[in-house]
Amino acid sequence: MILHILNRSPGSSLVYREALAGMGPEDRLLLIEDGVQGALTSQARHFESLGGRLFALREDLASRGLEGRCDASVQVVDVDGFVVLTEEADKTVSWF
Amino acid sequence: MRYALLVQGAPYSSQASHSALRFAAALLARGHNLECVFFYHDGVYNAARLAAPPQDEPHLMDAWCALNTEYGTRLQVCIAAALRRGLLDEREAARHGKSGYSVQSPFELTGLGQLIDAGLGCDRLVTFSP
Repeated sequence: MILHILNRSPGSSLVYREALAGMGPEDRLLLIEDGVQGALTSQARHFESLGGRLFALREDLASRGLEGRCDASVQVVDVDGFVVLTEEADKTVSWF
Repeated sequence: MRYALLVQGAPYSSQASHSALRFAAALLARGHNLECVFFYHDGVYNAARLAAPPQDEPHLMDAWCALNTEYGTRLQVCIAAALRRGLLDEREAARHGKSGYSVQSPFELTGLGQLIDAGLGCDRLVTFSP
């Protein structure tokens, strides 16, 4: 299982499409930095194919005033959770 | 686990350095080892020894150096990316006839082979880009 890390908002970059196309059926996607905008209810539809495999970084949500505005399909993790995700994955791929 | 980080964003330009430092602190707190941080592309500016940010802002360079001092993390800078951006250690400055130098220990100018080694030798390599 690969952890994919995306730091671009789907509203400003289409790289999320490449990330999704490159993901395997078990892979997970973590939204960080501006990428957390993809966790908003209005944006999360871009990632609906991921089911329960979509995560967003709490600290980056909080610094943008977006905590508590995430779609129900998103699992919010703090930076410790980020490390755990990397522990559980065989490797990581960053998309930017 | 043994971790390595790849930083490709310049300090104070993108969030990459902040994200990487925050991740570094978290992985160390969980008992992992951070073997090295490799600075590539504009990330090499993290190694600028003359950086003098305002005192009420995070001093990113000091934070990198603290990783080396406290945890022995190697701070490796891509020499090809660094030289063309004016980031030279004392030896390279002398070799190129420059009157000053801009990189010093604990940062070390190294080749891309070190990044390959980090990717092969460490359990996890995590990239932070602009």
